[in-house]
Amino acid sequence: MQTLKFSFLGLLAVILIATSCSKKGEKQEMVTPVVSKTDSLRAATRNTFTFYSFKDGRVIETKDSASTKWDFAIRLATIIVNSGSSGPGNVGVITQKGIFDTFKSAPESGYAYDTTGSKLAINSGLTTGWYNYDPASHNFTPKAGIFFVFKTNDNHYVKVEMLSARYEDFTGPMPLFIWHKFRYVYQPNGTKEF
Amino acid sequence: MTSSFLRISMRIGFIVFFFIIFLQLKAQQSPVATPMHTTGEDTSFNTNKVLDEVVITATRTENRVSNIPLPIHVINAGSIQQSGAQRLIDVLQMQTGLMIASNPLGTALKGYPNPFGDGIQMQGLDPAYTLILIDGEPVTGRNAGIINLDRIAVGNIKQIEILKGPATSLYGSDALAGVINIISADPRKNDFSFQTHYSTNNTLGLSGTANLKAKKAAYQLFAKRYSSDGYDFDKDLYGQTVDPFTNYSVNGKMIYDFNERSNLLTSLRYNSSNQKNAYLIYPDDQVVAVGGHTIEEDKSAFIRYKNHPGDALSYIAQVYATNYSNNANVYIEKDGSLFDHIGLSQTLIKPEFQINLGRDPLSLGILGVGYNWEKISSTRYNGDHQLNAFYILGQKQWVINSTNIIVGGRYEKNVLYKAQFNPKLSVAHKFTPDFILKASIGTGFKTPDFRQQFLSFDNTMVNYFIVGAKELTNVLQEQIRRGLLDDNEEVRAFMVTNELIPEKSIGMNLGLDYTLKQNTVFKLNLFRNDITHLIESYSLPLVTKNGTGFFSYKNVNKVFTEGAEFSINHRFNRFFTINGAYQYLIAKDKEIINQIKNGEIYKRDPSTNVSSPVRLSDYHGLFNRSKHSGNLSIRYFNDRLKGGAMVLAKYRGRFGYFGLNGFNDGNNILDDDREFIKEFTLLNISVNKNLGKYFDLQAGIENLLNYTNKVYMPNIFGRVYFINLNFKL
Repeated sequence: MQTLKFSFLGLLAVILIATSCSKKGEKQEMVTPVVSKTDSLRAATRNTFTFYSFKDGRVIETKDSASTKWDFAIRLATIIVNSGSSGPGNVGVITQKGIFDTFKSAPESGYAYDTTGSKLAINSGLTTGWYNYDPASHNFTPKAGIFFVFKTNDNHYVKVEMLSARYEDFTGPMPLFIWHKFRYVYQPNGTKEF
Repeated sequence: MTSSFLRISMRIGFIVFFFIIFLQLKAQQSPVATPMHTTGEDTSFNTNKVLDEVVITATRTENRVSNIPLPIHVINAGSIQQSGAQRLIDVLQMQTGLMIASNPLGTALKGYPNPFGDGIQMQGLDPAYTLILIDGEPVTGRNAGIINLDRIAVGNIKQIEILKGPATSLYGSDALAGVINIISADPRKNDFSFQTHYSTNNTLGLSGTANLKAKKAAYQLFAKRYSSDGYDFDKDLYGQTVDPFTNYSVNGKMIYDFNERSNLLTSLRYNSSNQKNAYLIYPDDQVVAVGGHTIEEDKSAFIRYKNHPGDALSYIAQVYATNYSNNANVYIEKDGSLFDHIGLSQTLIKPEFQINLGRDPLSLGILGVGYNWEKISSTRYNGDHQLNAFYILGQKQWVINSTNIIVGGRYEKNVLYKAQFNPKLSVAHKFTPDFILKASIGTGFKTPDFRQQFLSFDNTMVNYFIVGAKELTNVLQEQIRRGLLDDNEEVRAFMVTNELIPEKSIGMNLGLDYTLKQNTVFKLNLFRNDITHLIESYSLPLVTKNGTGFFSYKNVNKVFTEGAEFSINHRFNRFFTINGAYQYLIAKDKEIINQIKNGEIYKRDPSTNVSSPVRLSDYHGLFNRSKHSGNLSIRYFNDRLKGGAMVLAKYRGRFGYFGLNGFNDGNNILDDDREFIKEFTLLNISVNKNLGKYFDLQAGIENLLNYTNKVYMPNIFGRVYFINLNFKL
C-alpha cells in the first residue's frame, strides 16, 4: 500500500515536471530539439560493411560507400568511420567512458580517425575493444559504460551507445548476419550540447 | 562486509591462538598427546564412539586425525560401499565443500557433454588447483586443467582422504586448494568379492577383487568393467547428451615382507575409457555427420621398498611411472574417411627417496628427495616437451606439552622456472583431549600447464589461434612468413619472450574440534586462500589477413577465497550415525574489486538499456561458486538384522553462471540476480540386506528429488535407480 501511494505521487510529479518543461520549451521555439533515436542495423559477419547515417537515421546503400553520405559502418563487430582509409569523409570519433544519459557536452578535440586499415579510430579488438566477446558462445555484448562521440562530415555532434548484438537465425556453421542495436542523440544545430 | 569481517576475525584468531599456545607452553608440563594405534581396520561398527581415523596424506606418515593440525576428512570404505556409488565424482560431490566444476569452455557447449569431464572445486578454487593422488602418487593428464575423475574406478578403495589447504610443502605443484588421496585396500587375508551393479540407462558395473595372503607375500587383483548407454536430453540436437561409454580398470598389487622390518610393494594400474562420439560438421556449408571414439588410457607402475632398520629410523625408496594418453579419431559417416585425429600422450617418471627419523610417530622428522621426469606430446603441440623438476622436502613434528607442531617445506627446481620454496607451519593445541584448536599457514604454487606454454591450436572453424606463451613468437613469425601478418611494431611487440611464472598462493586454516561424550564431534574451520599470478587467456589485438585472431596466456589475476566450514558428527549407538555440515564461501577477484572502487565498471540493464556504475555490494564474486552449501549423511547398519540404510543429501546454494539464458549486462562479472542458477538438492537413498553368508543385496535411488538442469548441467541425469548384488567369499 505504502509503495503504491509513493509511486502514485511519483507519477504525479513526473506529469507536473513534464508539463512545466513543455511550457519552457514553447518559449524557446527557435532551438531545434536534439534527435534521440534507437535503431538496429543488420551487418554481415564477413566481407561487406553496412553503412549508416545519423542525419538520415537510416542505413545507406553499399553503392554510396565511397561518398560522404554515411558516418559509420559495421561488419561483425568491427566499426569503421568515414575518414582516412575507410572513406572520403572526415568523421572523427571519441571512445568515451561513463554514463550515456548524463553526458551532456561533446569535447572540443581528441577525435580519432581511421588512418590505416589496421589502425582504426574505434578499437574493435577481441578483449580490448568496445565489446565483450565470449569465446565459448561467440556472442558479442557491448561493454557497459562505453559510448562514442562522433563529429560528422558536416561538423554535427552525435553521442552513440551500442546496446546489443544478436546473430540472425542461421543454419550451417557460421551465422551470416548480426543485428546491432544502438541508440544515439544527434544535435542538428551544430552545437556540442546534447 | 562479511568477507572483511571474516578476514579480520581470522587474523585475530591467529594472534589469539598463538598467544594461548605460548602461554600454555610456558605453563604446562605433562604431555597428554593421544598415543597412536594404527590398526588400519575399519572399526566403525565395533564401537559407539566417533571414529578417529588414521590418515597418511597430511604428514606423509601415519597419524590420527585428532593429532593433525590440519583440516582433513576421511571417507571410509564402509560408507562408500553402503552408498552404492560407482563413480568417484558421485562420492566426492556429496562431501562438504566439494562441488562439481567444469571448464567454462566446456560448459558453454550447452546441452552437449563436456569434453573435458567434471572436476572438483575445493575451498572455492577450480579443479586445476586440487591435486588428485592414488596411494600418494599424482594422477596426470589434465584436459583444460581437469582430471576426468571417471578414470579412477570405485572398487578396492580403503579410504579417501581429503586434505584442505595448500599442501605444496609436501606434494609440490597443483596442491593449492588441497589434496584428494585415494588409498587402495591392501591384501590382508584370503578373500574374493564380486559386485554386479545395474542402473538406469542400461548402466552395468562388474567388479571383482581377489586377495591372496601367503606367508611372506600378499597378492591382490582388482578388475572392473563399467559401461552405460548414456542418455539424450534433446532429440533435436544430433548425437546424444552423454554418448555410450565403456570403462575398464585392472589393478594388480603385491606386497612382499622380507622380514618384520622391511617389505616391497609393487602395483600396476590400467584404466581405459572408450567414449563414442557423434556430431555434425559443416564443410562448405554442407551438413556432414561424423562419428568415432575417444579413448583415454592410464597406465601406471609403482614400486616401493620400505625398511625399518632401527627403532628410530626408517626409509622408503620408490619409483612411480605413469602414462596417460587421449586419442580421438573421428570419421566421416558417409565414406568412412578420417576427418580428425587428436592425440595426446603424457608420461611421468618419479623416483623418490624418503627417510623418517624418530621413534614417536608424533615427533617424526622426514626428509625426502625426488625427481619428476615429465614429457608430453600432442597433435596440438609442436614437437615433444619436457618439464623436469628436482625437489627436496623436509618436515619435522614436535609434541610440546599438549601442543603438536609441524614445520615443513619443499624446494623445487623446475627446468622452466625459478626455484620455488614452499613452507608450511601447522599447530594444534589440545586444551583437553576433547577440545583441540588447529591452525596452519602455508604457501602453494602451480606451474603453468603444458597447454598454457606449448599449445598451438588453429581453430579454423571459428577463425582463431590459441597459442601457448612459449609458442607465440614462433606462430607469429610463421604468419609473417606466409604474408598473413605485416612485420610491424605492433606484431613485434608480442614477439618478445613471453614468460609465464607459476601461480602462487598463501592459504590459512583455523579450526577447532570439540568432542562431546565421545559420540558427538563438532568441527569448525575458517579458511582463506590468496592467489596471485593467476594465468588467464587473453586476446591479442592482431588479426591476420584471413581474419584470424589470436589468444594466448598471461599471468594476470589476483583472487581470494575465504569461508567457513562447520560440521556435526553424532553417533546415536553402534548402528546409527548422522553427519551434517555447512560451508560458507566467498570467492572474488581483487582486480575487479579495485576497478569497482575506482568506478571503472558499469552495467547496462538489458531490459531498460539504462547504464549505471557497478557498486561493490553488487559484485557477487567469481562465477560457479555457491555462497551456501551443505550436506547430510544418515547411516544405519544393524549387524544383528544384517541390514541397513543410508541417506545422503547435498544442498548447493545458488551460484553464478556466465551468460545464463543469454543474459549479459555489458560486463563480464557476476553482479545481477539474473545470472544465478537456482539452488538445488541432490538426495540419494539406499538400503542393503545380507542374504545368507555370502551375498549382500543393495538397492537405491540416486537423485530421488529428480533434479535436472538439462541445458546448464547436462551431467545430472535425473532420478537413477540401482541395484547391487555383492558376493563375498
